[in-house]
Amino acid sequence: MDLYEYQARELLSEQGINAPEGVYARTTDEAVEAAERIGYPCVVKAQVRIGHRGQAGGVKLAGNRDEVRACAQQILPMTISGHEVNGVLIAEAKNVLHEYYVSISLDRSSRDFDVLATANGGTEVEEIAREHPESVKRLHISALEDFNLEAARRMAQSIGFYHADIDQAAEVLLRMWRCFKTNDATLVEINPLAKVGEPDDEASKSLSALDAKISLDDNAAFRHDGWKRFASAATANPLERRAKEHGLHYVHLDGQVGVIGNGAGLVMSSLDAVHGAGVAQGTGAAPANFLDIGGGASAEVMSESLSIVLSDPQVKSVFINIYGGITACDQVAEGICSAMDKLNASKPIVVRFDGNAAVEGLEILKALDNPNLVVRSTMEEAAEEAARLAYAGKEGK
Amino acid sequence: MALFLEEGSPVIVQGMTGHQGMTHTARMLAAGTNIVGGVNPRKAGSVASFTFARNQLHTADIPIYATCGEAREATGAKASVVFVPPKFAKEAIVEAIEASIGLIVVVTEGIPVADTAYCVELALEHGIRIVGPNCPGLMTLPEHSNEFGVNLGIIPDGIVGRGPLGLVSKSGTLTYQMMDELKDIGFTACLGVGGDPIVGTTLLEALQQFEQDRATEGVMMIGEIGGNAEQDAAQWAKDHMTKPVVAYIAGFTAPEGKQMGHAGAIVSGGKGTAQDKREALEAVGIPVGNTPARAADLMREALNDRRR
Repeated sequence: MDLYEYQARELLSEQGINAPEGVYARTTDEAVEAAERIGYPCVVKAQVRIGHRGQAGGVKLAGNRDEVRACAQQILPMTISGHEVNGVLIAEAKNVLHEYYVSISLDRSSRDFDVLATANGGTEVEEIAREHPESVKRLHISALEDFNLEAARRMAQSIGFYHADIDQAAEVLLRMWRCFKTNDATLVEINPLAKVGEPDDEASKSLSALDAKISLDDNAAFRHDGWKRFASAATANPLERRAKEHGLHYVHLDGQVGVIGNGAGLVMSSLDAVHGAGVAQGTGAAPANFLDIGGGASAEVMSESLSIVLSDPQVKSVFINIYGGITACDQVAEGICSAMDKLNASKPIVVRFDGNAAVEGLEILKALDNPNLVVRSTMEEAAEEAARLAYAGKEGK
Repeated sequence: MALFLEEGSPVIVQGMTGHQGMTHTARMLAAGTNIVGGVNPRKAGSVASFTFARNQLHTADIPIYATCGEAREATGAKASVVFVPPKFAKEAIVEAIEASIGLIVVVTEGIPVADTAYCVELALEHGIRIVGPNCPGLMTLPEHSNEFGVNLGIIPDGIVGRGPLGLVSKSGTLTYQMMDELKDIGFTACLGVGGDPIVGTTLLEALQQFEQDRATEGVMMIGEIGGNAEQDAAQWAKDHMTKPVVAYIAGFTAPEGKQMGHAGAIVSGGKGTAQDKREALEAVGIPVGNTPARAADLMREALNDRRR
């Protein structure tokens, strides 16, 4: 789960990492109220879980009450790269002297943790790595080891923090590590970690986390009370929320063909097949969702899954792709029948069964004798038929 | 082929007495796996009874031990299959490592990645192999029809017979789908490495095993979005693989930042896309099929070319 900036700040502050004063606001009035408290100038920042929000106009400097109101009115309704803005952060504007980049992340390849840092912060780290690869320093921390102040100091030195900043930078790195470990994070990134203050006044200078990104490991939610306090970041889409309540893996997408299958790989493969068919047929038919019923799913799970997908107004046809390993196709067939009975579904449903109890499953579907239910013998044929039927309805009207 | 374990070696099951454990222990027994014990501290001293069909109907009373150490002492177990729930999985795997059980197959889905990272690193230090987590496990197919292979995990027996192919996959159901697509040819062994961000055995290590195995003539590799295990495997294959490899990648239509079922199946920061993986594989001469059926056809062609 990716946190919003205001939530990430909360976790950093729990570890005592300095950041400019900031208040999260959901409405224009709340934004103005927050700015009055923080003072001017302040920064109005879109809360959105995608990078490059600055370039998209999602971050603005405001010098007074009217400007804050105008900025908030402009930013709150925005959608950035397909992600809806969820409130704004009103933050104290700081005088920035220098920008560093620091992050700790899970390294999937080396199967350990990565501390990454550079003295050229500010932009996205991918860009920094492209333009100044020599400036990016990396340190691996083994899963059996810990990170300590000595290692953090060496890291801070090697990155090229100004001499005066090294002790403080080492402290920040160590606190980030604690934040990473105690919260079961997969990413803790501060970019920029800025040196702020007045150029001529040494005492005013300090390192401050001007922006932060944190991702948490969903599998570790049981150790953190289900991440209840970050619920707003977890499930914005109502269909995703409903699926989650039933313990189903569901992702909402943009297309017209609802896709249900067993096993994450097979469902991804089914999405690709629908997309491929849409391209080949020239309609642009595309998957409306990802839904994995998991291994050994019961009739009830299948029935609930089909109800969720059919309740999506975007869905024009449904593709159900089951390869029975542990899952028994007759159970799935029972689930399909019960959902179709209950919902009196009028959208076409294309089914492909193979493997465990496929013959029995197909007999159950045949006995239902419902004209909206179509059976195809391979995954490719079924995907093509579902893609075709999603558009066949349109031509008829 | 012997994949990390000699056929007939004694195997224990951690979490045997739960629903999943009971179901799949019966299946593994039917497939010929030599299961000699279960581990559950609360049921130590009892037996778990199984009835299963292997040529004819059999029954087995399998003793339950309190710890992996005791089980290993009593049975000489060389491998463990883990069905323990995520909350207790780290403890269970560490126990198996400390009992020096050489192969640990972790089926459990939902283990925190920090726990997995710890277990994988500890296993490496002890020279122990972990397969998974969040994986269907592995099966080997016997050379002679009167023998049994090894089935560790949840891969269904009976989809496929013995043949010259190796199969390695990040996904469970796509493993079964591909076994079905290529049942006309058959397999030496099938290995599901798992869909988590960190796994004990990588795609690359699977290629190494199949390259060494004399009976394997070609390898089918199934990848999916997330990480760069496919790219790492491609780089290794370029310099070391003498046998044909064909690949299938799932998740071309997956949007950025969304986890597609598997904990590891996520494109983040523009990295780990299916397209990147396809390009990396094709760049080293590994053909990638658009669909599982197409990948299977490419495998048949590659095998024919090799035999010509």
